[in-house]
Amino acid sequence: MPSDQPSPSRTAGTGVPLHLRGLTKKYQDFVGVDNLNLDIQGGELVALLGPSGCGKTTTLRMVAGLIPVTSGEILVGGRDVTSTPTYQRDMGLVFQSYALFPHMTIAQNVAFGLEMRGIGKDEIKARVRDALRMVHLEGKEDRKPTQLSGGQQQRVALARALVVRPSILLLDEPLSNLDAKLRDEMRREIREIQQKTGITALFVTHDQVEALAMCDKIVVMQAGKLMQAGTPREIYEAPANPFVASFVGRANRLTARGDGSGRYGLSGVEIRGSAGISGNVTMMIRPHRITINDPAAAGENGLSGRLTEVTYVGDLVQLEVASGDQTIMVERSTRSQEALPTIGESVSLNWSAADTMVFSEDAP
Amino acid sequence: MPAAVQKEKGSASLVAMLLVPIIVVNSIGFILPILNLAQLSFKEALVGGGIGEAFTLSNWAILIEDTFYLEVLWQSVWVSAAITLITLACSYPIALYLHRTSDPIRTVLIVLVISPLLTSAVIRTYGWVALLSDNGVITSLLTSMGLNVPPLMFNTTGVIIGMTEILMPYMILALFAGFGRLDQNVEDAARALGANELRVFTRVVFPLTLPGVVLGCLLVFVLAVSSFITPKLLGGGRVFLLATEIYDQAIVTLNWPLAATLSMLVLIVFGLALALYARALRLVTA
Amino acid sequence: MDNNRMGLPMKLLVSILFLYLLTPVILVFPLSFSDDQTLAFPPSSWSLRWYRAIFGDGRMMDAFITSLGLATVVTLLSIVVALPASYAIVRFPSKVTNALFNLLTAPLLLPTIVLGLGILIVFASLGVMGSFSGLVMAHMTVTLPYALRVLTTFLTGLNLTVEEAAATLGARPMVVFRRITLPAMTPGLIAATALCFLVSFDEVVITLFLAGPRMTTLPVELYHRVEMQPDPLVASVSALIIGLTLAVVLIVDRSLGLNKTFVK
Repeated sequence: MPSDQPSPSRTAGTGVPLHLRGLTKKYQDFVGVDNLNLDIQGGELVALLGPSGCGKTTTLRMVAGLIPVTSGEILVGGRDVTSTPTYQRDMGLVFQSYALFPHMTIAQNVAFGLEMRGIGKDEIKARVRDALRMVHLEGKEDRKPTQLSGGQQQRVALARALVVRPSILLLDEPLSNLDAKLRDEMRREIREIQQKTGITALFVTHDQVEALAMCDKIVVMQAGKLMQAGTPREIYEAPANPFVASFVGRANRLTARGDGSGRYGLSGVEIRGSAGISGNVTMMIRPHRITINDPAAAGENGLSGRLTEVTYVGDLVQLEVASGDQTIMVERSTRSQEALPTIGESVSLNWSAADTMVFSEDAP
Repeated sequence: MPAAVQKEKGSASLVAMLLVPIIVVNSIGFILPILNLAQLSFKEALVGGGIGEAFTLSNWAILIEDTFYLEVLWQSVWVSAAITLITLACSYPIALYLHRTSDPIRTVLIVLVISPLLTSAVIRTYGWVALLSDNGVITSLLTSMGLNVPPLMFNTTGVIIGMTEILMPYMILALFAGFGRLDQNVEDAARALGANELRVFTRVVFPLTLPGVVLGCLLVFVLAVSSFITPKLLGGGRVFLLATEIYDQAIVTLNWPLAATLSMLVLIVFGLALALYARALRLVTA
Repeated sequence: MDNNRMGLPMKLLVSILFLYLLTPVILVFPLSFSDDQTLAFPPSSWSLRWYRAIFGDGRMMDAFITSLGLATVVTLLSIVVALPASYAIVRFPSKVTNALFNLLTAPLLLPTIVLGLGILIVFASLGVMGSFSGLVMAHMTVTLPYALRVLTTFLTGLNLTVEEAAATLGARPMVVFRRITLPAMTPGLIAATALCFLVSFDEVVITLFLAGPRMTTLPVELYHRVEMQPDPLVASVSALIIGLTLAVVLIVDRSLGLNKTFVK
């Protein structure tokens, strides 16, 4: 990395690894996080992705030490911090609600963590200045948090968390209070700063686009359990189960029967799929990987049906096709010049065997 | 696991430590006195302020047998009910005006409504003495106009006039808070459907404000039943109400068991008012 | 807003009702400048004699000093006792603390005449009748619920994540409380202080039961005066009390806005 970046910087890749071993949080009547195992390499930005209530925030708060762990271990750089109090854990946490100290100025906010570490006045001053420069907030030192916009407040929160050079950066839905345009901008900025400083970061989000676009690795959670961990490409192209396939990206969910050799019966037609499972299976196909009335698609999986509905959603046209007792959604770019079939017309659908994701029917 | 358990245990003892002082004050200043009152109402009063040891129902028997106390109870209830209704009538227009006007006038008016609340009841009652006494402002004004004025103080009239004013701020604030449901658009909708102003009020505005009305009435009624300062000063010892009777029995007659029994009676009236409120609220929100 | 339904009759009616509501308080001021021996309005001539009379009235002065000292002590103790309690109730919510909150604010629901009688009988047996410490205890019974309610409301509104943020930045629990929680609670503390002071300074019914010839408070002394000889002295003292109240309210308003504190 070029060394033009002032102080609060680490070289990329020097971040501390984070390991979760059998991390569990039980409440009186339900299990918030169930035996979670996770290995995060130094310098990685990892997304904890899942619907609300899946345990992702609980996981983050356990890592930060804000809620006690029921069982399991948290290792930071090989050191067990499971029973270390929050104030000694050396984590930087950025909240969804910013959580800036309302009675302090921006500079005082950023300086707080340094003060707690007993750092000298002059160094605090220099580091606060550098941190604010890093998030493009020079000149706002003496403002109060309420005098800044939401995006600016989140930048202050980021600077405040990073200025102490924590071993791990934790981000709890940091972008969900921002409007769409600002969210895009902040996404890029957080990623840039994280890469420049090389800090290991855990990013909680329910937004799959955010996770796909920003992170080195995605951890999908559901009902307190780990569903899949992998790179964005792995998660999208090779989901481990139907839940991941439909939570990250859109997918048709069909039921079929397999003979164990990779061939499946779907509405009386033989379909070739990616796995060899026998018996009842769940078959998932992404709508934009299906072509409609494409003469060049001979030899691929095919199905015929009747077009029942067409919805124009801007950059896409969504077509609903009834085939036997199943309904299949097809997406086509509006860039295509070809005429759309009319509703009620018979159509043929094609997709490749590689795009046919097959799971046993009892997968989550 | 041990860390979590330890943390929970630690916070439980911390919570206990933080709460002990307030619990001590509450026990000595509230729980003990009230429990003591309750048991005292079943003890015999001895001559000269003494208290008997034995359990007795005689205090409660006095309340039922002695027509004087039945009259005091009846007088307390109807005077309080009258005060409640008059207070409602005087407060409703103000609350409606507050609801319909906007800042900064509204803020100024709200401050004006609250300011009497911050002024001692003794001072405000003194103001009424100045207004209502035989050579007071109102009496002399009316007399100078050639009117024959009945005495306005040391009777029920004076108590009702003063109490109404004392309790108006509570009623206004309760009504105003309850007017939140009153949406300008709903009124306009009724008007657009052809309702005249009277019908808009009786069919739309008033029904919508009923929950606030019921709450305000409960509040003012219980405050009226338990008020002491104003009835004592404006009634001049000639208007017998539960609250004034409690004081007289406790301080003048030194019959603490009977005073305790009357106190329990006030609490029973409170309970009945609360039950009535719950029923009325169900009725108006159903 | 809507002028046609806020017509002249409505405005007139509201003005008359406001006049009814405010006259008894406002009347106190002209009466306090009376030169008459007895209560009469309008006074035959004006003077400051009843303000001078206050300082010549030993009982009134003693009562005033007692009230001031009492309200100050009661307020300080109330805050010291209610602040930790409110923290425990808001930050460690459970069935127990919720039930406790209801119990601790219950004295507000009880008629003061009943509470006063109850306290009189218990305190008589404890031998603290007519004593300063007895009055402090009795007043705290009514000021604590106010303090507790105001402080818990403010603490509940305080964003817990702000305290968590401080902890992640390395602040120990006591540092978090001192540097983050307490400063953020300043408006609540000011409101609670003012409210406790005013409630204690104005308390009359319970004090009436406890005050003896040796020790009495200003409102109780005023009460007896109105009962026995309602002369213009009551007006001049009242005018000063209203002035004091106004000063307290203005301080609160300066620091956080009246509406927020007293209109819930």
